[in-house]
Amino acid sequence: MVKDSTAENPGQSVSPTQAILIHLICGVGLAVGFSVAHNVYFINLVSDPSHTLRLIWVIESPFVILLYSFFRQNPEKCSYLKAVIRGVLALPVGALVNALGAIALGAPVGSQYFQRTINWSLLMSLFTFVPPASVFGSSSEDWRRIFANTKPKGSLDYMICLPAHGAVVGAWFGAWPMPLDWERPWQEWPICVTYGAVAGYLVAMVASLVLILIQGGQQHPKSE
Amino acid sequence: MMELGDWCRKRKWGIMVMLSVLHIVGIFIFIRGFLLTRTELPYYSRCSDVSESPCFTSQSNHYQNQSNPLCWTRPAIDRLIIIVLDALRFDFVAPSTFFKETKPWMDKLQVLQKLASTQGTYARIFKAIADPPTTSLQRLKGLTTGGLPTFIDVGNSFGAPAILEDNLIHQLASNGKQVVMMGDDTVDLHTVDNGCIEHLLPSLYEEDWDVLIAHFLGVDHAGHINGIDSISMVEKLEQYNAILEKVIEKLHSQSGPGGLHENTFLLVMGDHGQTINGDHGGGSAEEVETSIFAMSFKKPPSSIPSEFDTSYCETDLDQKKTCISSIQQLDFAVTVSALLGVPFPFGSIGRVSPELYALGAGTWNLESANVGHWPNQKEEEWMRNYCNVLCINSWQVKRYIDIYSASSVIGFSSEDLLNISNIYAQAEGNSTCSSDNKSLHEDESYNSSLPTLKRKIDTYFNFLLSVAELARSKWTEFNLEMMGIGFGIMLISLSIHFYAIRTAKNAAGIPLPLCADSQISVKLMFAVFIVVIHACSLLSNSYILEEGKVANFLLATTAMFKLHYSIKREKMLMEAIFFLLLITILRFAIEIGLSKQAATSLFMSTHASWMVDIDPDNPMWIYMAEIIPILALILLAYLLYITVTSSSCCGIWKYVISGTILCYILIAVHWASESDTLSSITRLQGIGRNCIPKIIYAVGLGQLLLLAFSHLFHKDRALDSKKHFVSKTVAMLSTCSSTIIILSGKQGSLIALASIAGGYCIMRLGNIEQDINDKVAGILTFDPLSVTQWSLLATCLFFSTGHWCAFDGLRYGAAFIGFDEFILVRQALLLTIDTFGFSHIIPVFGLPFLVADQQLLGQTDQDRRLIIMQLYLMYLMYGLTIVATVVATIICVTIQRRHLMVWGLFAPKFVFDVVGLILADILICLAWLYFVGRGKDGGSGSMPDRHD
Repeated sequence: MVKDSTAENPGQSVSPTQAILIHLICGVGLAVGFSVAHNVYFINLVSDPSHTLRLIWVIESPFVILLYSFFRQNPEKCSYLKAVIRGVLALPVGALVNALGAIALGAPVGSQYFQRTINWSLLMSLFTFVPPASVFGSSSEDWRRIFANTKPKGSLDYMICLPAHGAVVGAWFGAWPMPLDWERPWQEWPICVTYGAVAGYLVAMVASLVLILIQGGQQHPKSE
Repeated sequence: MMELGDWCRKRKWGIMVMLSVLHIVGIFIFIRGFLLTRTELPYYSRCSDVSESPCFTSQSNHYQNQSNPLCWTRPAIDRLIIIVLDALRFDFVAPSTFFKETKPWMDKLQVLQKLASTQGTYARIFKAIADPPTTSLQRLKGLTTGGLPTFIDVGNSFGAPAILEDNLIHQLASNGKQVVMMGDDTVDLHTVDNGCIEHLLPSLYEEDWDVLIAHFLGVDHAGHINGIDSISMVEKLEQYNAILEKVIEKLHSQSGPGGLHENTFLLVMGDHGQTINGDHGGGSAEEVETSIFAMSFKKPPSSIPSEFDTSYCETDLDQKKTCISSIQQLDFAVTVSALLGVPFPFGSIGRVSPELYALGAGTWNLESANVGHWPNQKEEEWMRNYCNVLCINSWQVKRYIDIYSASSVIGFSSEDLLNISNIYAQAEGNSTCSSDNKSLHEDESYNSSLPTLKRKIDTYFNFLLSVAELARSKWTEFNLEMMGIGFGIMLISLSIHFYAIRTAKNAAGIPLPLCADSQISVKLMFAVFIVVIHACSLLSNSYILEEGKVANFLLATTAMFKLHYSIKREKMLMEAIFFLLLITILRFAIEIGLSKQAATSLFMSTHASWMVDIDPDNPMWIYMAEIIPILALILLAYLLYITVTSSSCCGIWKYVISGTILCYILIAVHWASESDTLSSITRLQGIGRNCIPKIIYAVGLGQLLLLAFSHLFHKDRALDSKKHFVSKTVAMLSTCSSTIIILSGKQGSLIALASIAGGYCIMRLGNIEQDINDKVAGILTFDPLSVTQWSLLATCLFFSTGHWCAFDGLRYGAAFIGFDEFILVRQALLLTIDTFGFSHIIPVFGLPFLVADQQLLGQTDQDRRLIIMQLYLMYLMYGLTIVATVVATIICVTIQRRHLMVWGLFAPKFVFDVVGLILADILICLAWLYFVGRGKDGGSGSMPDRHD
């Protein structure tokens, strides 16, 4: 067992109201992405997955990066702009990790899937990598606490940890219908995986809110 | 303590053997209920056989007087044209008024409909009902032999499609009929039937044939590609309509007296139907209902008695009456044989169909029946003849049933046989069909004998139908009771398995259920989750088809889980990442294998998109493909060399491993001599192609014997130290590896490297927790996830070596490496080693590596006991993962036993899994004997006890 050495969290604390607001805005960002694709460009995930995904992550990314950068750690040492840049830089890095993971799990490769994979992994990066990058920067201890030990402390940790895991687990389950012989267009890579990821992300956001509210209800949040 | 330890070890061995026996018994009983078997008899009907029948006693003389010599029945037709339209649905032929709705594909073969309605008794449309499986090969076989297909038939036909049983074609050929067949093998939709069309029409003018068979595949292809509700299907049907119009026109023009086609009979038929999507193979009404259009160019003398007419009539689009009769495909072979006057196929259990037989009866009735003043005379003449045919038919079926029951291992029950015999005796008991004819030659007698004949025919019908019913229940219906018992035994073995694991855990002092460390229980839960989800995935045909991908997906998931741990522990990050990388590589290998499968499978259309980017003809690729396996082989040999030199293992294992290094060098030479580019350089062509493989098999066998003997006679100290343990494992693996590598071909060395790397990563990652959980003796760190990974890796290796769970997935070429001639046992053994080498043999013998890295080895007796316990647990768990999938497969085939893919997909998967399980069981028992021993000659038993 690795003992968590950070006893106190120097980052900005997040009140339940703020948490609700952040999650709500992130969720609205996604909804805006989908509706712009549907109503302005008349495309959706099934008809044109690549462009729709690009539209969604382009619209969603400012919401996520700008919001989470507000809650960066050590705000006195690290300017808001720096946090935003961290988030922007984390986007392609996280996308690479997500794409490699997906390919190891069996995502199709080949020229016709190239664009889709890139756009999908950028969206996944937005769900998983960008928020902690904006908040924690390159602090490996915090990263490990969130992703390896999965021992979130405090509401900010919940807000980062749970949706990220939710998106990944959702995407994992979303991959299961792909081999079925139903011959539906949405079984194509990465449509149902995206649906799974978004669903997992949304469910986990609700779960993190519930946990934050429960913790907020208890006057003394658990330190362990 | 020593005796207790002895006893414990014996009990462990006993539990392993008991589990294996339970599996074998359960599977055997299940198979008895599920895999329907029918023995093919090598007997053939002959013309002379008929003298044994009770039918021709009085009439034979009468017939012998005729100009042409008589065989079994009087030939009713001289020439026969059979046009087989593959996958011809019933509603392609029948008028749309017979159906509730009119669909786009109906009423396209109008020429047949017109003939059926205008000419009445000349031509008729039949609804032909096929017995599933409705695959072309099985149906053609059923049509020609008149028998029922069962799984073992289906299984055989993958390897050798030749029909060995007596069949119509054989009978035609051996009775002097000239048979002309035309068909195409092209897969292109537009050119598929061109060859057929080109040859069919000119052949109609020729005299050199008696039976002409044309097989058109276009409808089947159009269905498979576009479904039946498509423009291409309508076009195809319209094309056929035009061809049939021409054919019938030509036949008509020559059907006058003395014409080429005076006594020609035309059959246009399908072998099976198809679903809306163009699939076929199963037992749904759409698939089994096909059609036969029969047409005679001579008017039959009279309509058949209404008692035997099962047709139902409707008015067609032109307000004309069309009648459609029904016929079983089973009856086809025997009816055609009767019409042509050849002996009925030996194994046929069909009945001469009265309606189809009556259509062809026009030719001889006119000649032989004297001028009939009585309206019933012709009818009676026809009935008497038909009765005679049925008599022969019943006799032939009875003969088949008798001989089958006598010669087949799994025959009919004596009760059924007695029942059949009684019905036959009843049918034969009355006077023969013609006896009345001889005694009473008065005109009045014709009237009085009609009811007698009808009764007689009815008794024959009764007999033939009850035989068909019995055969159907025996050969095409599952025995659910047996399947249930077999499944129950498997469940019992599963619960014993669980119980054994529990007891073993408790005995080893692993506090798993009430775990202090929650991490282990998380891992256990995760491992169980992975195994369960893998097993559940087998319930769907899609996941079975892509099982390689599923296994890879799950393996990658566990690898990510491990990566998560290694990040957490800040240890072995490289191993975890490398393992993921390896899985990614394996994934591409699996996709190559799947694309091979898709090329031969009817059900699959996947292809790896990235493969398009690689040009296989590039000389660079060819060169690489030849040089890389050899390099990998050299690397393998080097690894073994390191093991030999570095380890302090005692003599015998060293020699064994050195022998394998030699084998590797020989394999490298063998491959180099086989390839075109390298052999020109090295000039190794001279070495016999079969020489090196034979040497390798011999060396492998020798090594195996050496190990076995050393195990029997040598004092075994394998468990004494880690090094001994490792070298013992390496010796065993290397012994197996050389044979497996040469059988697997060039990929073998690469896959061997991959499995070593994968095994190493799993072993290392499995011990992540170990050092932290300190080195207190007696506490075992046991990771069930590692075992799960091990078995998933084995599954991945099975698929990445280009195998899949179907009989065409067997690499038959591997059976002939080193041998040119075929000897069943030897070639089957080689094929088994090739098929299950990387997925069962290597993983089972390599499993001890998972404990080899533990620090516990070798100090005390207590440690030794723990190691044995751990090994035992590992083998039990490994066995459990395999049993879990087999139980899932059993549930799957039970649920899907009426599914259209049951014989094409589920049953082969079941056979592969079951063979794999039994093989794994045996291997686990052997491995246990090899590594631990039964107790008497085991390591710790011979050591003095110092503790307790």
